[in-house]
Amino acid sequence: MYQNLYSQVIQWVPERARVLDLGAGDGEFLERLVREKRVAGEGVELDAVKVTRCIERGLAVHQGDVMDGLDQYGDGAFDYVLLLGTFQELRPSEKLVREALRVSRRLIVSYSNFAHVRVRFQMAFTGRSPVTQALPSPWYRTPNIHFFSILDFEDFCGEMGLREVERACFNARGRVRWLPNLRAEVALCLLEAGPK
Amino acid sequence: MSETQKGFEQGDLQDQRIGKDYKSDLGVTHTHTVTLPGFRTQSGFEFDELELSYQTLGTLSHERDNAILVCHALSGDAHVAGISPKNRRPGWWDYHVGPGKAIDTDKFFVICSNVLGGCSGSTGPGTLNPRTGKPYGMAFPPVTIRDMVAAQARLMDHLGIPRLFAAIGGSMGGMQGLVWAVDYPNRIHCCVPIATCMAHSAMQIAFNEVGRQAIVSDPNWKNGAYEARSRPEHGLAVARMVGHVTYLSEFSMREKFGRALQDEAKAKRTYRAFFPEFFKVESYLHYQGDSFVGRFDPNSYLYITKALDTFDLLDNRLPAEVLKAVKARFFVVSFESDWLYPPAQSRELVKTLKRSNAVVTYLNLDTRYGHDSFLIDNPAFSRAVHNFFDSEYRRLRSQLKKTTQALRL
Repeated sequence: MYQNLYSQVIQWVPERARVLDLGAGDGEFLERLVREKRVAGEGVELDAVKVTRCIERGLAVHQGDVMDGLDQYGDGAFDYVLLLGTFQELRPSEKLVREALRVSRRLIVSYSNFAHVRVRFQMAFTGRSPVTQALPSPWYRTPNIHFFSILDFEDFCGEMGLREVERACFNARGRVRWLPNLRAEVALCLLEAGPK
Repeated sequence: MSETQKGFEQGDLQDQRIGKDYKSDLGVTHTHTVTLPGFRTQSGFEFDELELSYQTLGTLSHERDNAILVCHALSGDAHVAGISPKNRRPGWWDYHVGPGKAIDTDKFFVICSNVLGGCSGSTGPGTLNPRTGKPYGMAFPPVTIRDMVAAQARLMDHLGIPRLFAAIGGSMGGMQGLVWAVDYPNRIHCCVPIATCMAHSAMQIAFNEVGRQAIVSDPNWKNGAYEARSRPEHGLAVARMVGHVTYLSEFSMREKFGRALQDEAKAKRTYRAFFPEFFKVESYLHYQGDSFVGRFDPNSYLYITKALDTFDLLDNRLPAEVLKAVKARFFVVSFESDWLYPPAQSRELVKTLKRSNAVVTYLNLDTRYGHDSFLIDNPAFSRAVHNFFDSEYRRLRSQLKKTTQALRL
């Protein structure tokens, strides 16, 4: 599922683009982007140990939180800002999107779909918070602070004046094209400022 | 006990009581002195000749592309690593410079030189003024961080190094690295400023001024014209004591001393008759002060702290203008517990560099030992620097390969 998602990002990002990966982790994916698309990539990561791993890979990375990371850059410093799996962990979302759009024309965001059928069933029949492949941690250990569905995110984009240029949804079996809000576990979208 | 704690127990290498069993992987290392003709300071003073003391470790590559200049801080000198043949002491950065260490002498050619204005072999206020035959004293011209770097650039010419692979240093050493990147953009590939800033804050200037006042109010100072046998040692020791407090953290002081009292036998300070309690931390500071006096010149302390205070990377100009020509890639490191050069100053530096389109990596380590964190045995710091140099050297080599290929075509 995540392999498909990452491959999709690689397809969307053009050669030699300027890319900022927010929440770059140990830099594995950013390194792949640099290798396969020869992007000028930089990362932001909070964890010092992961930052050291990024340095080992030869990546330029800023240790700090996402807002601090964005603050380091001038307007339009990047072509793409990546928020892969981090968006649901961050607050405040609106300010974050505005800051990201200041430094970059386009955003690529991925998130877990809270309206996936398995989530709905678990909630409805066990009466407890869901634990699924895309939401693997129990409620008390999850880094997620926002729980939203694909439809929720659409509404959010509308309110923020974001246009969805591309969208790709996935579940364990691959790409989901039909009834994504019910069937997809994770969603990935390419956004830019502008009317829908 | 964690590795870092063990390192702290050993302390930084310049003033701690280092046991006879301390072994450096480099063995005995030597410092040299070179005399360079003609040097003009930023203030316009002309030296007929300039002496610089320096140390080199490792081997310069055939392509002459593996030179790392280590810039020392306020109290450092050219003896960066290995054991000094004179006093058997290890170099001030022996934890981080050596075979397989953060700055790998198996791979890189490491140079460290005593700064202009210093007192460990380079021309400074203690040097004899050829016009009077006496030490310069306060007739020595004011020196700046830029002067120090200009002198280092002359040393690189002398050593036949057209371009540094890197300049690295903490505190004042970091300032020198930044000046290298700004003033000599074509002569440096990457720059590692550690626990430093673009310009001193009022607080940093204030602490330095307390130190300077301690020296100049010592009756032995005599407007800087003191004799070798009656130097303002007490003033210098107090200056060092104040300085040392600012290099530690609340945590390191609590861990190291707490409220423990010093043994009776060792407590030999004069006013003990009035106040019998003598805390361990007091004894430690006295030791630091006394040890410093033995190896540092009071006038040098005045000149170098003034150079620190007057340093301003931007000098009231727009960052875009100052940093326009910068080509170096940066690795900025700060320490969460450093309250003398707080992480906020490093972040400001990072932001200024990044917003002027420099490529910067920033790491803020949670080492708890204050400003001294870069001087102690610090594995997390060591690993990060090692990784950075490793990947940057690979990048430099691949760039070089591409250009030579392009030239052949």
